[in-house]
Amino acid sequence: MSENTYKIGVYICECGPNIANAVDIDRVVETVSKYPDIYVVKRHKLLCSGPGKDFLHEDIIAEGLTHVVVAACSPKDHETTFANICKKSGLNPYLYQLINIREQCAWMIKDQEAATNKVISYIRSGVRRVKYHSSLEQKELESTPDVLVIGGGIAGIESALNLASNERKVYLVEKSGQLGGVAGQFEGVLSCGGLSPEVIRSKIESVKTNLNIRLFYDSEVENIIGFFGNFEVTVRCPKDEKVEIKVGSVVISTGFELFNPTNCDKYGIVSGTHVMLIEEVESKAKTGLVTLKDGSAPKSIALVHCTGRDEVGYCSGVCCNRLFAVAEYFKSNYPEIEIFDVYRNLPKTSPEDAAQISLLQEKGVVFIRANDASIEGQFGKTVVKYKTEKGIEKTIDVDLAVIAPAIIPGGDTQKIAQMLDICIDKFGFFEEEHSLTGSFKTSVDGVFVAGCAVGPKGIIDSATQALAASGNILSRLIPGKKIHPEVKTSEVIEALCTGCQTCVAVCSYGATSYDAIRRVSVVNEAICRGCGNCAGSCPSGAIRAKHFTEKQLHQEVIEAISASNKVNQE
Amino acid sequence: MNQDVLVIGAGIAGIEASLLLAGSGRKVYLIEKTSMIGGNLVKYEEVFPNMECSTCMLAPKQQDLLQNANIELLTMADVLDVSGKIGDFKVKIAVQADYVSAVDCIGCGACYEPCPISIPNEFEENLSSRKAIFVPCPGALPNVPVIDKANCLRFTKGEECALCQESCMFEAIDYSKQDRQIELEVGAIIVCTGFQMFDLSSYSKYGSGEIPAVYTEMQFERLFASNGPTLGDIRLRNGRTPEKIAIIQDVGKETVGYNSPIASIYPFKLVHYIAHKLHNAEIFCLYDDLFLPGKHYQAFFEEAISPNVHLERYDDVSVEANGDGALVKFSVEGDEKRIEVDMVILASALVPRTDALELANLLGIDIAKSGFLRSNRDGLSTLATSREGIFVAGCAEGIKDIAHSVEQASAAVGMVLSSIRNEIAV
Repeated sequence: MSENTYKIGVYICECGPNIANAVDIDRVVETVSKYPDIYVVKRHKLLCSGPGKDFLHEDIIAEGLTHVVVAACSPKDHETTFANICKKSGLNPYLYQLINIREQCAWMIKDQEAATNKVISYIRSGVRRVKYHSSLEQKELESTPDVLVIGGGIAGIESALNLASNERKVYLVEKSGQLGGVAGQFEGVLSCGGLSPEVIRSKIESVKTNLNIRLFYDSEVENIIGFFGNFEVTVRCPKDEKVEIKVGSVVISTGFELFNPTNCDKYGIVSGTHVMLIEEVESKAKTGLVTLKDGSAPKSIALVHCTGRDEVGYCSGVCCNRLFAVAEYFKSNYPEIEIFDVYRNLPKTSPEDAAQISLLQEKGVVFIRANDASIEGQFGKTVVKYKTEKGIEKTIDVDLAVIAPAIIPGGDTQKIAQMLDICIDKFGFFEEEHSLTGSFKTSVDGVFVAGCAVGPKGIIDSATQALAASGNILSRLIPGKKIHPEVKTSEVIEALCTGCQTCVAVCSYGATSYDAIRRVSVVNEAICRGCGNCAGSCPSGAIRAKHFTEKQLHQEVIEAISASNKVNQE
Repeated sequence: MNQDVLVIGAGIAGIEASLLLAGSGRKVYLIEKTSMIGGNLVKYEEVFPNMECSTCMLAPKQQDLLQNANIELLTMADVLDVSGKIGDFKVKIAVQADYVSAVDCIGCGACYEPCPISIPNEFEENLSSRKAIFVPCPGALPNVPVIDKANCLRFTKGEECALCQESCMFEAIDYSKQDRQIELEVGAIIVCTGFQMFDLSSYSKYGSGEIPAVYTEMQFERLFASNGPTLGDIRLRNGRTPEKIAIIQDVGKETVGYNSPIASIYPFKLVHYIAHKLHNAEIFCLYDDLFLPGKHYQAFFEEAISPNVHLERYDDVSVEANGDGALVKFSVEGDEKRIEVDMVILASALVPRTDALELANLLGIDIAKSGFLRSNRDGLSTLATSREGIFVAGCAEGIKDIAHSVEQASAAVGMVLSSIRNEIAV
């Protein structure tokens, strides 16, 4: 566009008395009008009102403007309002700039002259900037609504069942030969206010019979490339057969493993005479009597909490309830057995949990608050040593100690994280996109994570995360609808790119990659969110953030720092 | 099947659910009892475990919600009646008169100044005052004031006061507006009505409301908030800056009977707050238990601990006035202990809303003995209520942190979008 074809219009909103009383708008209009690039400067009592919007719409057309600057309130209030009016008036909305002269000038500066000067400087900055704006277009991409679920545990099952429909296929890839995961094997064997095993069995049955779920047993995901709406996946099936599938979204529900206590002295000799892992107790309980190594029945049992908690550095939050289920099992079936519950903290986190603990106390379970508990075998006896709150050392002699080890990250986490280029947290779980608003999302758009793969949790919370992931997928990946990627993306000016790959390293979304053949960086605009990290870090100036180009920012800043001087001179 | 959805309650769960539903193309009616959206989260300056700015997290969602063409927000609204069934509910809603028109008002605030009424501001936990026409706090959204009929001279005493109307440049105030009833037709309902704080008023042993040095956790949240009554200055009622502070965890536990999943960790958020602004303050954390589940809480707890922070477990505790400050007496394992401090913060239990039972009856859904809208414990999910097509998410279902509220809201949307739809037959 040559210089003389610019027609920049500036519209100043008085916002009733809000801006009009604090700023000398007459002086603003007079001063700004002299500015070389400006075609027209107009004021209005309230631009966001019905008449205000009509005025703006008609005036943009009547004046034949090429660029628009609106000086009004915070972009949070009305940036979109005026962008829509530009669009309606046939002007590309990226050729408009909103300047905040209310929150940042009128409401902040008591002195009218100072406020007015600041408004003038702001408007000039906006005008300088908008001159270098380019039209940007919203792109549309085709997408597939189908979903890949990795891992057929509780979370995977719940996701798959919720997502599968006649319009949406689900590919469920399970490493083993069965569904249900680790929790599915034990959960509900000993019921403790939790879940009946029937619920899990019937869910597994529903997955198997659902025609819209394709199950891959004994299979692993070998490769995933692509972006939200368009992922290409290679699944390695038994006998090294490879299957290629296309999906729009991915749910990682690869589950967890359990802390291995055998190398820690303080937990005694696990699976020996003295100490039993909880899963051993659970599976023995399934078939009948829980017996000691010598075949006799235990007369006293200590349930020792927090196995591995200090080693892993967090509380898994579910082991306590699993031990309570053991206490409940023994007290219901063998009330004569003495049960000691050696705990550090009690999870009375819901009315149901608190009631469970009270019930166990009523049934005679002895709860002992203990620090530094350890287990030793002495002369055929199991001795649990601990310290009371006051630091006094005590011991309990029992026939058997039962421990419930902490939840730790699954063995495949690292591999899958590398494949998808997503982060792992300090514990080795998948890292969530945001600890509060994105606890089931990953840094890669369209890739979700549910259940213990993202951190230790119970079965109901795992199912909730699985449903949360599907809620997001169902909301955004609608069969037959196109997806709209970010408009204000970055682009590579290949002639300037030296191929140093700094941009690849700084991109949080995996949108930049290196083309080894042409030896330049490439931005995938379908993934780019326009954060500008790459543009800011490129040493050669070869990457441009489309709506935040160096030229635009430079012009804006230069004007802002020099304009106040000019105003004072005028 | 009717595809539209009613969301009750505009806290973080209700907002998240509405945005996701609207994103999928569903029409959403979001009704909110109060005049503003954001729920309790609006009161917090920062949120754990990362001590992030709460507004920065919430504000973009609030903006998206207010500008979303698929979402119809009705504030000052309550459910009156629900009939019908999944895919075909008829819901009667009572909407209070909007004396200030949201269309004409620009939120300049010129109407508050002339109002002659001054009463304690409940949003600020009565630490400051407000007028009879007001927005609860700076930054409240929608930024449209409401007239508090219970205190306005015009509505209580029939006076011809029209000072607010006269001060409005935009003719946004109309006293003749009437309360109205509307009827909505929706296919599904998501209940996100949140929680409330344990009412300490009948427990004199903590001194809440009587001893000036005693603050509730919400009062402290507002003292810390940069848009609060002291603009974020931690100052006692006597004007002094506290040097020795006791935080008592889980106040009300003996009555409530349970801790919440956040009860153990929450006091350490207050420790982070205090350490951030009062570097030398000595802090006594009286705790009942330290159950810190999940991968974030342990580290957050450890980060809060410093030589200025003293951990004290208690079995029983009471607070007495002590000059300008307070005396905290507590027992642990039979030992009696006492600490003199100049500020006490009562981190009380979070409990179901007192109107939860009434709402459950209106909706025709089961309510747990505890007062939470939770049922269906046999299935994997606790979000589906006993009435098909009605779901619950967030703290209405049970006390939880923000992450879990957002998860439940998204999960409820997952259930709505997969179950209430018109599938194309293949």
